[in-house]
Amino acid sequence: MLIGLIVMYAIGPQRANVMNNAYGTNFYTDTYFAVKQVTSLVLAMGAFVLAAKIPFGWFTKHAGKFLAIGLALCAALFLFGNVLKINAIATNTLGAYRWFNLGALGSFQPAEFLKFGLLLYLAVFLSKRASQGLLNNTEKTITPVVVISLISLLFVVILQNDLGTGITVGSIVATILMVSGIDRKTGVKLLVAVLILGIVAIAAAPHRRDRIITFFSGSGKSSANATSNDYQIHNAMIALGSGGAFGLGVGNSIQASGYLPEAINDSVFAIIGEMFGFVGVSVILVIFAALLMRLLRIADRAPDMTARLVVAGVFGWLAAHVILNVASMIGVVPLTGITLPLLSFGGTSMLFVTGAMGLAFQLSKYTTHSVNVNQGGSAHENIGGRRGIGRTRVAGRRAI
Amino acid sequence: MEYIKGKRTRLLAGFVMAAMAVFFVRLFYIQIIQHNYYTAQADSEYIKQFTLHAQRGEIYALEGDQPVPLVMNETVYTVWADPTVVTDKQKVVDVINKVAGGNTQPNFAQLLDVKNSRYQVLATKVTRAQAEMIKKENLAGVGFDAVTQRVYPEGQLASQVLGFVNSNGDGQYGFEQYNNSMLKGKDGMLKTVTDIRNVPLTIGNDNIKTPAVNGKNAVLTIDRDIQAKVEQVLAQGAARTHAKQVSAIVVDPNNGHVLAMANMPTYDPNKMSSVTDISVFNNDTISKPYEVGSVAKTLTMGMGINEGVMTPQSTYDNLGYIVVDGIRINNADQTRLLGRITMQDVLDWSLNSGVVTMTEWLGGGSINLKARNTMYEYFHNRYHLGQLTGIQLAGETPGTIIPPTDVQGNSIRYSNMAFGQGMSLTMVQTAAAFSSVINGGTYYKPTILAGFMNNGTYDPLPVKPEDTNVISAQASQQMRAMIHHAHYATWRPNDPAGYYIGGKTGTSQTIDPKTGKYRNTDTIGTYLGFGGNDPNKPAYVIMTTLAGGGNFGGGDAKVMFNQISDWMLGYLKLPPKG
Repeated sequence: MLIGLIVMYAIGPQRANVMNNAYGTNFYTDTYFAVKQVTSLVLAMGAFVLAAKIPFGWFTKHAGKFLAIGLALCAALFLFGNVLKINAIATNTLGAYRWFNLGALGSFQPAEFLKFGLLLYLAVFLSKRASQGLLNNTEKTITPVVVISLISLLFVVILQNDLGTGITVGSIVATILMVSGIDRKTGVKLLVAVLILGIVAIAAAPHRRDRIITFFSGSGKSSANATSNDYQIHNAMIALGSGGAFGLGVGNSIQASGYLPEAINDSVFAIIGEMFGFVGVSVILVIFAALLMRLLRIADRAPDMTARLVVAGVFGWLAAHVILNVASMIGVVPLTGITLPLLSFGGTSMLFVTGAMGLAFQLSKYTTHSVNVNQGGSAHENIGGRRGIGRTRVAGRRAI
Repeated sequence: MEYIKGKRTRLLAGFVMAAMAVFFVRLFYIQIIQHNYYTAQADSEYIKQFTLHAQRGEIYALEGDQPVPLVMNETVYTVWADPTVVTDKQKVVDVINKVAGGNTQPNFAQLLDVKNSRYQVLATKVTRAQAEMIKKENLAGVGFDAVTQRVYPEGQLASQVLGFVNSNGDGQYGFEQYNNSMLKGKDGMLKTVTDIRNVPLTIGNDNIKTPAVNGKNAVLTIDRDIQAKVEQVLAQGAARTHAKQVSAIVVDPNNGHVLAMANMPTYDPNKMSSVTDISVFNNDTISKPYEVGSVAKTLTMGMGINEGVMTPQSTYDNLGYIVVDGIRINNADQTRLLGRITMQDVLDWSLNSGVVTMTEWLGGGSINLKARNTMYEYFHNRYHLGQLTGIQLAGETPGTIIPPTDVQGNSIRYSNMAFGQGMSLTMVQTAAAFSSVINGGTYYKPTILAGFMNNGTYDPLPVKPEDTNVISAQASQQMRAMIHHAHYATWRPNDPAGYYIGGKTGTSQTIDPKTGKYRNTDTIGTYLGFGGNDPNKPAYVIMTTLAGGGNFGGGDAKVMFNQISDWMLGYLKLPPKG
C-alpha cells in the first residue's frame, strides 16, 4: 500500500497533467491523485479494521443479505444506467455502466460488493451443504451454485461489460468450490462449462476479440501496427524493459507522462517496474506470493468449513487480480482490464479487497487452536483465541 | 464430511508458485536480458529533437549617428484547425471572423468540412493579441503556430538595399541575401525526453542542448532621412521626366559610407504580393553597369594632373573632333570653343577632343601602350573600376574594363574610355572612384555596413582606407577646383552662398541592341558631384541618373543632384563659410 502511495504521489502530477490536457481543464491538481489515493487508503484501512473486528459470525449470519444487496445494487445500476440512462447516478464509461456516481464522494463499483457478498454466501452455503453431506449433490448444491454464479456473471460480464471482474468472480467461485472438496469429476465438468462460457464471452464482445487477436498476432513488441491494446502492452513492456534491474527511480517514469494508458490503474505494475526495476517488481511479487501463501495457510488452519471457504474465496479474489494483472502487463496473457490489488488507483476495489483481507486476518487468529475452537464455536471463545495468538501475528502481517 | 486437508490448497499454492515462477522468468527476460532492446525502444519513443530557432538579426539605419530600425522581427500566429476534432464549427467561424476577420483564408469555413485532413490553415499573420482572444474561447480542434516575420516600420524605404526574407527564412536580394548567414545566426538543437504531447521533460540524463546563436543586428550606413529625401527626389524626377529608370547614390567621400542608394521604380516589402515585375527587386546602383559618359572625364583628368601631363591651364587646339587611329571622334557640339582652349574649358564644356588629346599626352603624343597601361593602372587598379567593390549587397555586378594587352584594348577603346564610353561601370564604383579624386586621393571601399547593435548599443566598425595615394592631395585639390568650376560653367543653379559645390554632367550614348552600334537616341543622363562648406573637405558625393523612355542628358540628372545637394547642406547642418 505504501508503495502504491509513493507511486501515486510520484506520477500523480503527470497524470493530472495528462487528464487536464485531455479534458481542457485545470481540475486535476498535482496532488489530486495522491490525495485521493490517501483517502482510499484510509478508508481501506478502516474497512480492514472493521472486517477484522466485526465477529465473523455476523458476516456468516448475514451472508445471504450481502449477496442480495450486491445483486440489488447491480440491478439498480442496470436500471439507472442501461435502462434509464441517468448519467447523474450511473457513470457511463465507454458505453458500459460500472459505477454509481456518488458526486463529491467519488464513485462506487457495485460489482465489488457483489464479489464480497457472493464470496460469503457461497462459503456459508457450501459449508452447510458439506455438513449435510450434500456437497456433491447436483440438485441441492451444484445447480444453485451455478445459478447464483451465472446471475452474478450476467450482471458483471454482460450488463457491465467487465470480463476482468467476471474472471475474478469465476476465480472466487472456483477456489471456494475446490477447497470445499467437491468431486474431481464435478469440478472438471464445471471447468469445461466455464471454459465454454469464457470462449462465448470473448467471442461475443469485439473489444475482447481484439485483445485476443492482438495477443496471438505476436505483437506487443512492434509499434508498427499499434492498435490501442497493442499499444498498451507495447508500452507496458517498454516501461518494464527500460526500468532494467534497478529502475529509473521514483518520479522518473516517462511512460506515466501519457505514453502508457491507465498508468495509475491497471498498468501500475509496469510503472512500478519502470521506477524500481526488476528488483522492485520482484519485491512486489514476493510480497504478493507471500500474501497468497499466507491466505492458503490460514485456509488450511481455519477453524471450520465456512471460515476456510471464506479465506479460500479471498485467495481466489486476490490471486485472480494479481496473476491476471501482472500476466497481462508482461504479455503472457491477453490484456484484461483488472486492477492490481492495493497498488492501483481505485477506491472501491481497494476497499473491498482490504475488507476481505481483514476478514481473513480475523480468521487467521484461530489457527493453532482451530480444532478446539471449531468444536466450541462461541463468539466469546473466538475472541479469546484471537487475543491469545494475535499480537505477534499483527506485527508480522503489518510488516508486509 | 470428507476433508482433504491441505491437498487442494497445496494445488492452489502450486498454481500460484508456478505463475510467480513464470512471472520472474518473464520479468527477468524483459528487464534484464532485453533491457537494452527496450531502452532503445523507449528512446525512440520518448526522445525527440527540436530545433531552437535562432533569431534573425535586425537591421538598422542611421539618423545622424543614432541607429533607427528598418527591419524588425515580429511573432505572428497561423491559426489552424483539425477538422476531425472541431465540435462547434459555427462558433469557430464566428470567433475567427470576429477577431481576425482581415487575416482569414478565403472561404475558411469550408475548410472545416475537410474531414480527411487534420490540419487546415484558417488564418495567417494573426497578432499575439488576436491569438490570445481566440485562445480564450477554448475552441476544440483549433491550434496556433508561431511564425516569425520581418516587419518594415519604414515601409518601402531602402527596400532594394535591404532585400527580403523568403518563406524558408533565407534572405533574398540586397543586404538580407548577402549577409544571410550573419543575420540568420545558427539554430540550436534540443534533444530531449518528451511526454506524449512532445513537451520536453526534465527526466533523463542524455538531454542535449545546443543553444541557438542569434543573428547579428546590423547597422547600415544608410541615413534614414537622406534615403527618404533621395527617394522623394527620384520619384519626382521620374514623374517629371517620365524616365523609366531613375537612380541615385549618396556617398560620404571621407569613409566610403553609402548614405543613400535608391532606384525608381521600387517596391514596398509590406506589399510583396502586388509586385508583378521582379526586376524591381534589383538595386541598379550596384547591379547595372553602364557607360557612364562624360562624368568619367573627372577621373581622366585626375589621372592627367597626377601624372603631371596637364594642369587646368594646359591648352590644346580644339577642332571640334579628334581622329584616333583613323576613327573620328566628335565633340557633342562640334562648333563650340574651336581653337586654343584650356583643360578647364574642356571639363566645363565636356569636350571629348580635349580629354582624348590629354590621354595622348600620357603616351607622349599617342594612345600607345604606355598611355594605355597608365590609364589601366588608374582606372582599374587605383579607381577600382570594372570590378566588384565588395559592398555588402547581393547582386553586385563588376562591369568591364578591357586591359590594354587585350585585342579589344586598343587606342580607340582607350580614347573612348577617357570620356566614359567603351567601359561599363556601376554607379557605386563610379561614386567611390570619384570620391578618391576629390577627397585628397584616398580610395575607400564603398560600404553599406556601419556597425552592429550589441545589446542595444551601437558599435561602429572602424574606417579603413584602401589606398591613400590614388592621386596626390595637390592633384585632388586642383580637381575639386576644376569640378567646382564646371558645375557652374554650363548650367547656372541657384548658388548657395558660402558652400562649395562641384559636379560634372554625363550624357552617354547607348548601343542599339538591333545594330550593335551607338545610337543618338535613348541617351542616359548622369550627374556626378560633391558638396560641402569646406573647399578642402567635401561632405558628400552624389550621383544621379535617368534612363529609358527618351533622351536624357546630364542636365536632367543635375536637377535631381541640385535638389539633393541643397537639402543635404541643410540636413548636415553645415554652416556656410566665406
